[in-house]
Amino acid sequence: MDIADKLEILADAAKYDVACTSSGIDRDAQKGKLGNTLAAGICHSFSADGRCITLLKVLMTNVCVFDCAYCVNRCSNEVARAAFKPHELADLTIGFYRRNYIEGLFLSSGVIRSPDYTTELMIQTLEILRFEHGFRGYIHAKAVPGTSPELIDHLGHLADRMSVNMELPSSQSLQLLAPEKNKQNILAPMKQIKENIAEDKDTRAIARKCTTYMAENKPKKKTRAFVPAGQSTQMIIGATPESDYHILNLSASLYRTLSLKRVFFSAYLPVNEDARLPVKDAIELNREHRLYQADWLLRFYRFDVNEIIDEKHPFLDPLLDPKANWAINNLDSFPVEVNTAPYEMLLRVPGIGVRGAKSIVRARKRSTLREPELRKLGIAYKRARYFITCNGSYAGTGADFSREGLRAQLAAPIQGGRHGRRADKAIPGQLSLFEQVDTTKPKIMRPGEYQRLAASTDAPNLADTPMSAASPTEARALPQASADPFATSIPEWFAPAVSRQPKPDASPSRIASPRWDSGSIATQGFAGRERIVASVRA
Amino acid sequence: MTDIAYTYDGSLEGLLSAIFTAYANKEDPSDIARAENLQPRLGQEVRDVETSMEFALRVQKGICRTCGPIAFDAVKSTSLSDDPATGSIVYRFVRYAMAKHKPHDCAGCTRKMRCGGLCTRGQKNSALNDIAHPSVAPFHELNRTVYNERHRMMQFLRFEHMEGDVWFAQCNPLASVVPLLMDWFAGRFNTQAFMIYDEVHRIAGVYEGKDWYLVKTDELVLPERSAEERAMQAAWKRFYDTVAVEARYNPELRRQFMPKRFWRNITEMKETLPGREIAGSRR
Repeated sequence: MDIADKLEILADAAKYDVACTSSGIDRDAQKGKLGNTLAAGICHSFSADGRCITLLKVLMTNVCVFDCAYCVNRCSNEVARAAFKPHELADLTIGFYRRNYIEGLFLSSGVIRSPDYTTELMIQTLEILRFEHGFRGYIHAKAVPGTSPELIDHLGHLADRMSVNMELPSSQSLQLLAPEKNKQNILAPMKQIKENIAEDKDTRAIARKCTTYMAENKPKKKTRAFVPAGQSTQMIIGATPESDYHILNLSASLYRTLSLKRVFFSAYLPVNEDARLPVKDAIELNREHRLYQADWLLRFYRFDVNEIIDEKHPFLDPLLDPKANWAINNLDSFPVEVNTAPYEMLLRVPGIGVRGAKSIVRARKRSTLREPELRKLGIAYKRARYFITCNGSYAGTGADFSREGLRAQLAAPIQGGRHGRRADKAIPGQLSLFEQVDTTKPKIMRPGEYQRLAASTDAPNLADTPMSAASPTEARALPQASADPFATSIPEWFAPAVSRQPKPDASPSRIASPRWDSGSIATQGFAGRERIVASVRA
Repeated sequence: MTDIAYTYDGSLEGLLSAIFTAYANKEDPSDIARAENLQPRLGQEVRDVETSMEFALRVQKGICRTCGPIAFDAVKSTSLSDDPATGSIVYRFVRYAMAKHKPHDCAGCTRKMRCGGLCTRGQKNSALNDIAHPSVAPFHELNRTVYNERHRMMQFLRFEHMEGDVWFAQCNPLASVVPLLMDWFAGRFNTQAFMIYDEVHRIAGVYEGKDWYLVKTDELVLPERSAEERAMQAAWKRFYDTVAVEARYNPELRRQFMPKRFWRNITEMKETLPGREIAGSRR
């Protein structure tokens, strides 16, 4: 078999792996050696699905002894099988790297013979790359569950990042869909990698420190650091019935306890016919998108998982991003004054990101920020204006400063492109020529009035929003809104004719329309649109 | 006072000479641009500034001393932009930064002026930090577009292996970023001799194993591609086509991340790979 044919088979088998990034470590170039790395990572190409290609993502082999229901490479599937020889793969990687096609190698594998044998093959490849070719680029290696700890340790000293696939968000699902894997043999390597990273960091820190006046006796040969770019994991979303609440709590605890760098989600794509798998055509790409947004809030915006999602509403709002959702549920802490607000609070304003908040903090030391200055700083002023005051003046005119009013301003379907499966979606709120539209203008409430209304507790439309959440920490302790946010807001969003008063009993609840739970209205296509129209008419 | 515009030759030295002239003549030109980009305003006096290395060096020294070397680096990289307003934007920034005259915050610095006022620490007072100021904000924006273009080149540059063991890459950036790229690639590929050719600005960066240098050229004679080049490109193209997941097809997103203007120099996006056309005709 030609090497290009092998590459095609093994890249095809690896393409459903999502954890393909080249970030997390800065390594300078060295004379006489090939390559360097950049902490931010570099994407070298983008495939037709818009995902970045940064590493040569291939399997060592797609021969597999396991029979996981969701996987293309399971042993009961009849697909073309191939395996790279270690030096073939190493030569190919170097050839691509020198042409600046890739940032390094992403090496995963099906289980050939046994996990240990597979890992040994991977180790051989990485040794050729690192020692024969003097390769200093990025290498991401997958740890195969069930590998012995010594081999994982060896592999970790050759790779920059390692990952163990969680595969599914709960051990019951794992038992159902991947009977050969279990929670223990997935978590064991993750724990080992975490401990080894910590230990390696400590020893390196001590070795660097000059504690005595004596001449240092440093080892002649430098040892490679163990997994210097940290570890990540990935799980499939939508193949099993776990809720967003469950998934986000799981990833938050993974960040906390195993200090993962990143948890990847991959929307379930039906590739196999299996009785254990859900039968559905819709890929929950929008749900995946919202989960990633929530994940970013956890990692970069200092949110706690309880602020993003709670047990009563276990799915993220498909029409509103989680940050905006938090903001409209905590209107008491807004509007914030951009010229004085602390960095943490700026981060929580919808429309201001990490970079925006940093440049605001940097710019306001020198000048007072008003609207033109803010626009220049590159924040999404259109969204942010409802939640900020610039030097005392509030610019969010035209919208009611209330939960429903702001929701109508901020809610937006996810842009999924004009082609492909995400294109044929119903556009919520789109007006029809023959539809009766009530054009009574609601009274526009300003923040001042809202605060006054909030102070007198008899305001009917504010009764269900949590009060006096002055600081994020307090907000965490308070219970979330009692009414289902979907029950009040979705019908309103879909048909402007329906009155704005929340009617929790009459409106279609989550139970009445279970398809909505998946959070993928947009991906349901034409059938979904019919259903929504029908429910609004009823 | 009449409205004045300066024209310069487009180089950094030319721009610095123009800035020098403005200070020397105690003038405040409202536009500094290349001759071909300048659209004179009504009643505007246009003056051509001659490039002088001596003046340019004096301006460089002045900016470094007064505003710090980081500010001068920013001036240097921003002047690489193709934007017609580059000259004016840089001039406005230099005026503002020099007038602000808060060079270094040497308070508490352990070096105690041993650096001669040229260190890179203590940039708290640098004019670069006034990012909301009307003379600094456009400068910042322009600087960022130059560095974005540099990053795009780091992503999408594609080398080809030529006969005689040299590597060649061609690019079409919107700013003349080859000088900013060379350090990166000379480090990364220090084991191979390579050349990066910018077809828009007709500048080539050459690395031959020791130090890199720039060549301004209008003529490019290339050796033949090496034997394995075609197979490698074909393999990469196959990998690229394979790795996309059909169910997620989203060409808008791809175009957003990888603009179409780069496609003609990106191996996997080219309509025909080298040598492919011959293979096609034979069939």
